[in-house]
Amino acid sequence: MKKILALILALCMVPFMAACGGGGGEDQGAADGEEVTLKLWCIATESDANRPAYEQAIADYEAAHPGVKIEMEAFENESYKTKIKAAMTGGSSDDLPDIFFTWGGAFLGDFVDAGKVYCLDDIYANNYTEDQIPAVMLNNSSYDGKHYGVPTTFNIVAMYANMDLLAQAGWDKVPETYEELTQCCDDLLAAGIIPFGCAGSETWCVTEYLEPIILKSIGYEDLNKIFAGEATWNDPDIAKSVDVLQEMIDKGYFDPSGVALGNDEVKANFLAGKTAFYQNGSWNTGEVAAADFKSAVAMFPVMNEERSTANCAIGGPSDHLAVCSESPNADLAAEVAVELGKEICHYNYLNAVGLPAWTPDYDTSSLEPLMVDIGNIVNQCEGMVLFGDTAMSADPAQIYLDYVAKVYGKEIDGQGFIDGLTKDLQ
Amino acid sequence: MNKMYSNKWYIIIFLLPALILFCGVLIAPIGASGYYSFFDWNGFTEKTFIGLSNYKELFTSDSIGFMKALGNSLLLAALSVFLQLPLALGLALVLGKKIKGERAFLSVFFMPVLISTVVIGQLWLKIYNPDYGVLNVALRAVGLGNLAHIWLGDKATALGAVFVPILWQYVGYHMLLLYAGVKSVPPELREAAMLDGATDGQVNRYIVLPYIKPILKISVIFAVTGSLKSFDLIYVLTNGGPLHATEVPSTLMISMLFLRNRYGMGSTIAVLLIILCFAFALLINFVFKEEE
Repeated sequence: MKKILALILALCMVPFMAACGGGGGEDQGAADGEEVTLKLWCIATESDANRPAYEQAIADYEAAHPGVKIEMEAFENESYKTKIKAAMTGGSSDDLPDIFFTWGGAFLGDFVDAGKVYCLDDIYANNYTEDQIPAVMLNNSSYDGKHYGVPTTFNIVAMYANMDLLAQAGWDKVPETYEELTQCCDDLLAAGIIPFGCAGSETWCVTEYLEPIILKSIGYEDLNKIFAGEATWNDPDIAKSVDVLQEMIDKGYFDPSGVALGNDEVKANFLAGKTAFYQNGSWNTGEVAAADFKSAVAMFPVMNEERSTANCAIGGPSDHLAVCSESPNADLAAEVAVELGKEICHYNYLNAVGLPAWTPDYDTSSLEPLMVDIGNIVNQCEGMVLFGDTAMSADPAQIYLDYVAKVYGKEIDGQGFIDGLTKDLQ
Repeated sequence: MNKMYSNKWYIIIFLLPALILFCGVLIAPIGASGYYSFFDWNGFTEKTFIGLSNYKELFTSDSIGFMKALGNSLLLAALSVFLQLPLALGLALVLGKKIKGERAFLSVFFMPVLISTVVIGQLWLKIYNPDYGVLNVALRAVGLGNLAHIWLGDKATALGAVFVPILWQYVGYHMLLLYAGVKSVPPELREAAMLDGATDGQVNRYIVLPYIKPILKISVIFAVTGSLKSFDLIYVLTNGGPLHATEVPSTLMISMLFLRNRYGMGSTIAVLLIILCFAFALLINFVFKEEE
């Protein structure tokens, strides 16, 4: 009996011992001729506009390269930031994908500094020319002269308009000056139409309103310097820009429900004809074009002609693919990532989800007219400013977003905004 | 058998796997968090030793807002103890009286505990939706449209709106614990009291409550430490917003770790959370012992 009891107890220990054992032993490398599976993490969830481009690009690549299988895993935007950072901090290559989606600028820069990202210089030098990928498109993923990212699209902040609703308020064109914009908003309100919607629960959506106003007040050169930490936030024109946004809120130009809503709900309201304007990334172009109303696209008007012009925009090639340096198949993953990024860019452009960071070498005659309009806007741009929360590294970016949220919540005014950021960031 | 139990080696060998897991999963991370809390570290690059600076900054920095987050957690803990537990106790006492449909009621009250928190979060997001949410729709339907509100978007109402589903979800959990206690009261004690002419209230006060005191203590500890650690529903409903109005230490910790890349500061919050949970558990134990 005692022996049986001891045996049973010993058997009970087996799972514990197994759990304590190392998980290694799996062959990470792939022998010649065997199929290699590469893990790709991204934010192209089922509801994301980028999803079709990812699926098409992966299908094309796998068809052309039978020995390579790409396993895509998509995460929601905000939770992905947590997921990828936790994986990068964890350190084990088992926890990491081979290829991962990343924002350019400081977000990728933190991983590069930690030596977690594979350098793509050789791949670009050997397989691609500058005609295919202009050097300027790699700026946001280059650090100390080395390239670490593959841009998958190029986007700017655009102001979409529902022309049917504008027509109800007596407008047959998108306002071109700030005076026209306020008049248009007043006319819309008089007609019982809410001019704008903005998702207050996702602060990046508020920056899509605030940053263009600041840009059109102080110009792209000064704003770039501020985001890079080379100039101070203590600029009276920035305070004025904040006051302009708050004045628009006070006048009822923004849907009051927006403070509790996420971006998907605010966008749905615009697409359903509840609000007349929606200012957000140009990746929404396909969805806006497919909406059941006549649409148009424009930029937020110039606020201060002495310092800014109409020909500048918030945006740039922000979305990238990168390769984990710890991937057991890093060389192959790098080749796949660049080719995949190029093709995602191709399909995103044709699907009206973003402008091309890669020079198009395919038929673009069937392009969505709204996308063509955005392309024309960008072609006239003299300068661009990358989205603030991407341009700045994590800690200052979050402090900046906190202040933007306070602006939208009317907790501080323009002076409070510049004073606070000057104190906390410089 | 007795020989086996008396042999230390048997005991050590059979306890070892569980001990290793316990230390590896629980003790080691606490130790690591304590270690990291003394560093300025972004999680990727070199760490810089800064001593107790993180602790000092946590309690003095307005931009981090730890004291406000802690205050929110303590408020939730107070509401859990003085609102949620009495409700759960009331339900347990009523259901313990063998009423008709006892099992059905038990299942219904316990159901929210079984549902995923994310699902509950989504459910309440829809209830609170300012446009089509059932709360505002109902208020408008009964002529109280002036009370309709942007519940989760207004600093004044967001905290209360977040606490309601948290308290609602776990009423069933505490009810079940207390119900098991109520059911374990020997029937002869009740019968003897009834024969002596005790009312239901007197039976509950003088027999049931003293009998289930150890379970009440456990419930209070769970309610308080659970409130201090609360995270999931708040994360889904508001993620600490608007303007940090619903921030609790756990959401602040996630924000520090993964949004601001301040692993040292995030670890500091984790350490303080552990200390607070231990301190409150000891305090509750002490209070219950004093009463005895």
